[in-house]
Amino acid sequence: MKVTGLLAAFAVIAVIGLLPTILGGQWIGIFISTTCFAFAAMGAGFMYSRLGMVSLAQVALMGLGGWVTLRLNHATDLPFEVNLLGGAVATAVLGMLLALPALRMRGLYLALVTLMVAGGLEVVFTAFQFPNGGAGFWGVGTSFSAPMRRPTIAPDDANYLRYCLAVLVLGFLLIEAHRRSAPGRAWALIRRSEAAALASGVNVTFYKTWAFGLSGLLAGAGGGLLAASLGLLDAATFRASESVLLFALVIVGGARFWYGAILTAFLYRVAPGLLNTWGVDADLALVFFGAALLHAVMTAPDGIAGQINDLLGKVRKEQTRDRA
Amino acid sequence: MIVLDKITIRFGGLVALDAVSAEFTAAVSGIIGPNGAGKTTTMNLISGFITPTSGKVLVDGDDILRMPPHQRTRWGLRRSFQREQIADDLSVWENVLAITDNLPGSRSDRRTEAEQAIDFAGVGKLRHRLGASLNTYERRLTDLARCFAGRPRLIMLDEPAGGLSPEETDHLGALVVRMARLSDAKVLVIDHDVDLIQRICSETLVLDFGRRIAFGPTREVLNDPAVKAAYLGVEHA
Ligand SMILES: Nc1ncnc2c1ncn2[C@@H]1O[C@H](COP(=O)(O)OP(=O)(O)OP(=O)(O)O)[C@@H](O)[C@H]1O
Ligand SMILES: [Mg+2]
Repeated sequence: MKVTGLLAAFAVIAVIGLLPTILGGQWIGIFISTTCFAFAAMGAGFMYSRLGMVSLAQVALMGLGGWVTLRLNHATDLPFEVNLLGGAVATAVLGMLLALPALRMRGLYLALVTLMVAGGLEVVFTAFQFPNGGAGFWGVGTSFSAPMRRPTIAPDDANYLRYCLAVLVLGFLLIEAHRRSAPGRAWALIRRSEAAALASGVNVTFYKTWAFGLSGLLAGAGGGLLAASLGLLDAATFRASESVLLFALVIVGGARFWYGAILTAFLYRVAPGLLNTWGVDADLALVFFGAALLHAVMTAPDGIAGQINDLLGKVRKEQTRDRA
Repeated sequence: MIVLDKITIRFGGLVALDAVSAEFTAAVSGIIGPNGAGKTTTMNLISGFITPTSGKVLVDGDDILRMPPHQRTRWGLRRSFQREQIADDLSVWENVLAITDNLPGSRSDRRTEAEQAIDFAGVGKLRHRLGASLNTYERRLTDLARCFAGRPRLIMLDEPAGGLSPEETDHLGALVVRMARLSDAKVLVIDHDVDLIQRICSETLVLDFGRRIAFGPTREVLNDPAVKAAYLGVEHA
């Protein structure tokens, strides 16, 4: 177990170190935004797999994290990390507020409430746009745009990709730490049934609120990182329909395993780019996603990640049999 | 002592419990009655999943119904469900920790309590097995471990022997008696297995269509003609 952990750590460091060197210029940008969307996928995936709750607001929440990070960047001289944390925490707080109506609802109704929030944020983003260094609370100027600071240790794109990947690893570790401790156990009981949770002394309200906060925190961090990658954000990126698409891809990628979030983000950001380079209409991606979703719902409840996991399990079993 | 004081519960037009009163003084007591008699409803009331139309429940003088449901565990309430509620994606050990997590005391105290509970139920060998991989018997034993963890004061078991073989039921019955002896808890058991109830419960409440038709020492209750007619009669019909 320890050895596998160590190997995994080396693999992660190798990927973070080498990936930006291997990738070409345009791809670095795509991989940065893939990493950012992996945060949102991770939050949606953990809410779905651990609590059975559907959140259709993850991309919109990324927008909020991006908005607050940009706002802080242009209003203060604070280092990027502080602004990013501000964006993530603000999004976590909104996530928890979102939990209030959601606590009384289940299944489809809960999904609808989160979708309404995504719609609300879309309206606000479209009406007010994202801060670009202008004056006033909304911070939008028409003729100019002030620079968005990046972390001092990662001014260029290659290092910034490494930076984002490192933060993503922290995100995964945060979720894993939750899964292995009291909140993870409480969530597992809530998913089993609320009666089971209450009968075990779980404060259901508290732990559900916490879950919303955690997934908001992750989405907010993704949004803040995306803001620093692009320097500017566009309302179209965070439309409610994007949140819905991302959730569908969370099902396709697989919510129960950590690499499901990465697969999801790949499908979401890289697949359309690939189709584009191959000269295929990017809208075809939607058709492909629809088919993949049907496939997942009908035959692979744990998504592609689940299928990979099954495959690995089989390989491992065969190896032990060969050794025996 | 567990006091049910004139409990009435209505679901719309249906009277699930009709002014039911009983004072359980035994370490292990039973609640029996035909399907739909209101047995599970009684436990759901004590758990706090439903609120009574009227009535009170006092356990050692504490008014249980005034506490928020999740705090009743901290107070010392434990229960198992008719359809067991083991979390499939947690191991046996984690399933027990999921209770002790919510109890007072230091982290190491709570681990010790979970450890003792696992030992008590004899599921130490299964501790790393996921809930999903357990059979019915293993699930029921894990349920007992969960109920024993910490310092329980009232343990409610809803058909703990459901789906078990006669040997397994024997063993489980002995564990339930031991559970009451080793802890200071009062244990309430619902079951359709009258032999089991007769063996482990000193006092028994019989419900039928939400009404108390008998209450007292188990042997006397089972010989009551009204019980024979309503309950045993149904079974032999
Ligand atoms: N939440 C509820 N809403 C409406 N009716 C309910 C509810 N819970 C129970 N009932 C009804 O109350 C009655 C008593 O149900 P209860 O589950 O207490 O029976 P029981 O004695 O446990 O029976 P069994 O032996 O079948 O488990 C039944 O008619 C049931 O349909
Ligand atoms: Mg019942």
